[in-house]
Amino acid sequence: MKSIFKSLGLAASAAALSLGTAISAHAVDLQFYFPVAVGGKAAQTIEELTAEYAAANPDVNIDAVYAGSYQDTVSKALTAARGGNPPQLSVILSVDMFTLIDEDVIIAFDEIANTEEDKKWLNSFYPAFMENSQTGGKTYGIPFQRSTPVLYWNKEAFKAAGLDPEKAPATWEEMVSMGQKLVKKDASGNVAQWGVRIPSSGFPYWLFQGLTTENDVILANSDGNKTNFDDPKVVEALQYLVDLSAKHGVMAPGIIEWGATPKAFFEGNTAMMWTSTGNLTNVRNNAPFDFGVAMLPANKRRGAPTGGGNFYIFKDSSDEQKKASVDFVKWITAPKQAAKWSMATGYVAPSPAAWETDEMKAYAADFPPALVAREQLKHAVAELSTYQNQRVTRVFNDALHAAITGKKTPEEALKGAQAEADRILSEYR
Amino acid sequence: MSDLSLSKTVEAAPPRQFDFDRALNTFGAWTLAILWALPLLYAIWTAFHPAAYEANFELFAPLTLENFTKAWSAAPFAQYFLNTTMLVTLILVAQFVLCTLAAYAFARFEFPGSNILFTLVLLQLLVMPDILIVENYKMIRNLGLIDTIVAIGLPYMASGFGIFLLRQTFKTIPRELDEAARVEGAGPLLVLWKVYVPLAIPTYLAYGLVSVSHHWNNFLWPLIITNSVETRPVTVGLSIFAAVDGGVEWSVINAATLMTSGPLLIAFLLFQRQFVQSFMRAGIK
Repeated sequence: MKSIFKSLGLAASAAALSLGTAISAHAVDLQFYFPVAVGGKAAQTIEELTAEYAAANPDVNIDAVYAGSYQDTVSKALTAARGGNPPQLSVILSVDMFTLIDEDVIIAFDEIANTEEDKKWLNSFYPAFMENSQTGGKTYGIPFQRSTPVLYWNKEAFKAAGLDPEKAPATWEEMVSMGQKLVKKDASGNVAQWGVRIPSSGFPYWLFQGLTTENDVILANSDGNKTNFDDPKVVEALQYLVDLSAKHGVMAPGIIEWGATPKAFFEGNTAMMWTSTGNLTNVRNNAPFDFGVAMLPANKRRGAPTGGGNFYIFKDSSDEQKKASVDFVKWITAPKQAAKWSMATGYVAPSPAAWETDEMKAYAADFPPALVAREQLKHAVAELSTYQNQRVTRVFNDALHAAITGKKTPEEALKGAQAEADRILSEYR
Repeated sequence: MSDLSLSKTVEAAPPRQFDFDRALNTFGAWTLAILWALPLLYAIWTAFHPAAYEANFELFAPLTLENFTKAWSAAPFAQYFLNTTMLVTLILVAQFVLCTLAAYAFARFEFPGSNILFTLVLLQLLVMPDILIVENYKMIRNLGLIDTIVAIGLPYMASGFGIFLLRQTFKTIPRELDEAARVEGAGPLLVLWKVYVPLAIPTYLAYGLVSVSHHWNNFLWPLIITNSVETRPVTVGLSIFAAVDGGVEWSVINAATLMTSGPLLIAFLLFQRQFVQSFMRAGIK
C-alpha cells in the first residue's frame, strides 16, 4: 500500500522536476484553459497555434489545457480561482462576463493594454462582438471563438417544391409560406419533410433571440441587471415560434433537439434549419445535396444574436504574466491566426482585418456561404447576458419550453419569467 | 418452461391464477430488462455501422470498425485508460485499507467519543461531494498535488459509505469467533485479518464494484483538478465528443462510449454470478 503511494508520489515529483528543469529561469509561465464546442479539430488547432507562439517566443511557456464544454470550463476556472490557483487566461462564454466580474476573478484589458496602439487594437473588432465584451466603459473580453445563427436551406428540396432554389426566405411571412410548400406528407398523412427546424432543447433562448431581435426588441440592458421578457414584442415573437408548429404546421411540434438537427437536415427531414455558423464545416462536408446559407429572415428588421467565447484575463497573477497574456491574446486574434482558426472551425473571424487576409479571401471566394455570417454581424446584437446569468437564462428557457410544449400561453410564460428575473436581479440594481 | 412443469406438480392450487401471477412477473422482468438494455443495444448497433444507419434499421447493413478507429484517434485513449486503471486501483486499495481499519474500530472497540466520531462519518454520506469542490481544491493545492492522479483519488479514500457498510458487516460476525481467535493468542490486527476480513468478502466485492464503477465514470472533479494528458482519465477523453455546436456524430460517440465502458462491462459479465450473490449477501440494493 505504502509503496503505491510512494511510487506515485515519486513519479509525480519526478514529473514536476523534469518540467521545472525544462523551463529557463526567466521564462513567464502562462496557463490557458480552453473549451471545445465543435468537435476534435478545434482542440488540435488551438494546440497548434499555442505551439507556434511558444516556438516564436522562447521567453513564454504556454500550457494550453482542454477544459471540457463551456460549462465545464467556467466551473474549472472558477474553482481554480477560488482555490487560489487561477489560470492566467481562459476562453469562456461571452455571456459569463457578468458572473466573472461578480466573482471578482478577472481584470479589464484596458488596465494592462493602455497605450494609444492598444486602444486601436481594442477597437479593431466587430462592434457586434464587443457588445458582450464591454461593460461600464471597460473591455473585459476579447472575441475569439464567436458565432452567430444562420439559416441553412436545401436547394434540391426547394426545387422539388417549385420554389426558386437560389432564394431563401427573407421575411417571417415568406418562411411560413415557403415552409408550407415544402412540407411533404406520406400516404398515411405523416410528415416526411418539414419546412423548417428551429432547435429548442437545452438553450432555446439563443435562437429565440434571433426572433426577438428581428421583432426589434432587446432582451436585457447592457448593465446586465434588467430584462425585458414580457415586452409585447417578445410575446409576439414567441407567438410566431409557437404558431410555426401549432398554426402553420411547418415545424415539428414539441421540443426540437440541437444535436440531431444537422442530421435531420442531411437526411431530408427538414428543408431548412436554423443553427450556429459553427456547423458550417460540418454541413459542407456531410450534406449530400446542394445547400445555401442565408441570414435569418427579417420581420421589423434583420437581426440575430452573437454567441460563443471570449478571452478573459484572470486577476490573481503577476504583472509580468498579465502582460504576457495580453501579448498572447493579441497574437492569436491577429488577422493571420484568426483566419486560420476561422477556416478550421467555422467560427466567425472577429475583426474586419482577418477577412482581408489572402487566405481568408481565397476561402471566401471558394466557399461564399462563409461570408453570410460576417454580413449578418451588421444586424447582430449581444447574446442575452445578465448578472446571475445561469439562473436568469434558466428561468427564461423554462418559460420558452412551457410555451413551446403548450403548457402555458406565450404571454403567461413570459410574464412569469420576467417576475422571476426581476426577483433575482433586484440586488444588482 | 419451468413454470409449466411447476404448475403440473401443484395440481391442488387453482392453476390459472398461479400461471397468471407468474406470467406477469416474467413479463415485467423482461420488459424492464429490454428497456434497460435498449440504449446499450442501440450503442452497439450504431458503433459497428456507418453513420448513415444511425437512424435506419437495416438487418444487413454493412459492418465497419471505422467508428472505433476515428474515436480512438480523437484523443490519447491508451494513456487515459492507463490513468483510469491506476486511479481506480489506487482508490480501491486505499478505501479497503482505511475503511477496514475504521470499521473495525467502530464495530468492536469502545473508546471515548466513538459515537460522535461515527456520527461524523455518517454525516459525510449526507454531504454532496460537489459542494466541497472548492475546499478540496484548496487542500490539494496546499499539498502541492494539483495535476496528479493521487489528487483525483484523495478526497474519496476515506469513504463514509465504505466505513458504514463494513462496520455493519463486522457487527453481524459472531463475537464467539473473535473470542476463539483471541484465546488462541491472536492480537487485534491478526483477528481482523484472519476472522473479520475473510467473512466480509462478499461485502468487499459488492463495495468494490460500486466504487470502481463510480470512479471509472467520475468526470467533473478529475477535469477540474488535472491539466495534462498524463493524469486525465477516460471520461475527460470522452467529453471531447460532446460538441453540440458541430452536430453530434452518434456513431463515433457510441463507439467511444463502448470503448470506455467496455472493460467494466466485460468484467461484470465475467464475474456476474459472484457480483449478484455478493450484493444479495451484503444487502446493497
